[in-house]
Amino acid sequence: MNEVLNQAIVSGLLIGGLYAVMSVGISLTWGVLKIINLAHFSFVLLGAYVTYELTTSFGWDPLLALLVVIPGGFLTGMIMQIFFELAKVDEFQSLIISFGIFIIFQSITRTIWSADFRRIGGDLNRYESMSFFIGDIAVQVAPLLAFCVAVAIAVGMSLLLGRTYFGKAVRAIVDDPEIARAYGIDVRRVAVILSGLATAFSATAGVFIATFQSLTPNMSFGWFGIVFPVVILGGLGSAVGALGAGVIVGVAAGVATTEWGPLSASLVTFLILIGALLFRPQGLFTRESST
Amino acid sequence: MSRSVRRRLQLLAVLAALALVATACGGDDSSDTTAGPSATTSTTAGGGGDATTTTEAMNDEPIVVGGSLALTGFLAPTAAIHKVAGDLFVERLNASGGLLGRPVVWDVRDDESVPDQAASLYERLISEEGVDLILGPYGTGTITAAMAVAEREGFVFPHHTASLTYAYTYACHFPTWPVGLKTNISNPNIVYDALEASGNPPETIAFVMNEFPGTQLIAYGPPGSDEGGAISEARKRGWDVVAEINFPTGTSDWAPIAAQVAQADPDFIYVGALGVDGPNLLTALDAIGYAPRGHFYQWPAPGPMLGAPNAEGAFSVATFEPHAPFTDDPEAAEISQQFAEAAAAAGLPYTAFETQASVSWVAWEVLVAGVEGAGSLDQDAICDYLINNPIDTLLGTIDFNPDEQNYYGDLSVVKQIQNGEWIVVHPANVAKPGTAPIL
Repeated sequence: MNEVLNQAIVSGLLIGGLYAVMSVGISLTWGVLKIINLAHFSFVLLGAYVTYELTTSFGWDPLLALLVVIPGGFLTGMIMQIFFELAKVDEFQSLIISFGIFIIFQSITRTIWSADFRRIGGDLNRYESMSFFIGDIAVQVAPLLAFCVAVAIAVGMSLLLGRTYFGKAVRAIVDDPEIARAYGIDVRRVAVILSGLATAFSATAGVFIATFQSLTPNMSFGWFGIVFPVVILGGLGSAVGALGAGVIVGVAAGVATTEWGPLSASLVTFLILIGALLFRPQGLFTRESST
Repeated sequence: MSRSVRRRLQLLAVLAALALVATACGGDDSSDTTAGPSATTSTTAGGGGDATTTTEAMNDEPIVVGGSLALTGFLAPTAAIHKVAGDLFVERLNASGGLLGRPVVWDVRDDESVPDQAASLYERLISEEGVDLILGPYGTGTITAAMAVAEREGFVFPHHTASLTYAYTYACHFPTWPVGLKTNISNPNIVYDALEASGNPPETIAFVMNEFPGTQLIAYGPPGSDEGGAISEARKRGWDVVAEINFPTGTSDWAPIAAQVAQADPDFIYVGALGVDGPNLLTALDAIGYAPRGHFYQWPAPGPMLGAPNAEGAFSVATFEPHAPFTDDPEAAEISQQFAEAAAAAGLPYTAFETQASVSWVAWEVLVAGVEGAGSLDQDAICDYLINNPIDTLLGTIDFNPDEQNYYGDLSVVKQIQNGEWIVVHPANVAKPGTAPIL
């Protein structure tokens, strides 16, 4: 393989980690809570803008924004789930309502920061193009950190869901919420915590995006074409699946860009998605009934 | 909670969400529209005490200029500049007595960056709202769509940012993006002349072009023609084209593209860039340890470019930059200053009065000149006047040429980032004093 292709694979692998962090929140709420929460796109966006603001206005290191963004995201996710619970929102309604929330947050973002492009300058953002080399291959630090976070989330969620009472409760809720409730599981509490976690993950993705991309409120629409293939390929409700699917999408897009030009990247991504829907509709990384 | 209460709450939630979606999607329509008597007062009074006095003295029905801008959607970052420029122009116009002795109101709607939406808004503004004049929206797609409505309704159509020059055949369209009819030939050659003027022109060149129709026109010429564009013009100068990469609008992963550019290692990179394509490519290049020796960006967002790694030395095309000799005219200097203040007040991060704002300004100047020259709001008379008379503008005298589909040559100049600032460096007669292109 030539050097350019190697570089594309490594870069695709790392950017795949970022895609996973962006997608895992939606995957969890959709797969476990049966909420297709499009508002997660606005939480990614808000995470990015809050990082921008903390860095440019207060001189924070961009990654320190995680200290604000994670708890803020967690709290927001809990509040949102309480609202969904009170309103008894079903899967289809959640699509409409969360899209409304997404649009509202996008408008708020535009009102506060304007529609114009924002970018954390290199003087305040040491991660912007920070990288190191393994042989001839450049490894960019910001996507690498996002990849590490994706791995941590995947491992953490696997342990949480597989080895704790909370995880058993989640799996019971996925199987049958009414039976789970009959066995004494506080379904609402579990759902609220899970929603908080999912939203915190989405907001975390925004922090990493702010470290190496320019921001504009409308950029969130562009994420739909990345996140949904990752969520569906990975299997609903699976953090490990989101990581695997993110890597597949990232690497496939990178290789396609190198071999057939950038225009082929989306085509290849969606061909993989169509293939998966035909042959593995439950996702590439899940059994039919697992989380 | 009883079942009926839950049900009502559920319905309420759905209704609230739908209402909020409608509000959010259409909200800018009203918030950014300056229509109706109350809005008239607010707009005309915006110029301060003098403006209020003048408005009261005019005591007449306002002239309504209708139009749309991409206040939301993917074009919104740049359209925000046009909104500030238009508001400032109307404010100054009213402060100086208005148009035909009447105050002017700009009824600007949000086309959401969608061409179909722009077309229907212009149809509504003309047919239902009965606006007196129209001004084009921002962006190639929306302008192209709105121009068809203007032609059907017989309205004069000044516009500022349409890039598909060959496609505009309406007799009463007046482009103020001064790029010439055959911009695919003229625009790259203006850039190439600047590179030659540096005394160190490239021997190898790579093209990294956005798939956007306007940048594809620059690269290859009109579809189906053999005119060629930036790539063939580079070859004519004997430069070796070592890479030709086309990428989709909205590309987020730049690493594979950067790797291909670095492997080609050209003397010069010609980037058919929109918005933040430039900073994103430079960041990805820097991440793999590659710094371009020379580089050009077609239509970049100027602010983010300044903060991008290795941006020093980057070239672009321009029409105006807020420095001498452009600001030698006191009025131009004043406009630049006022725009910077208004842009800052609007929350824009980059406030310089440069290409986008200047062509927006000139579109308004053309509209006003047409009306004043015709002495009426008659569309045919305005169109005739604009075609048959040179128009003095902020960018110099414009002479719309019907033989060139109302284009009038390519007045673009070349700017470069030097010492962390955008400055015009070519041609010499408009270059910032003491500067020249550096390659």
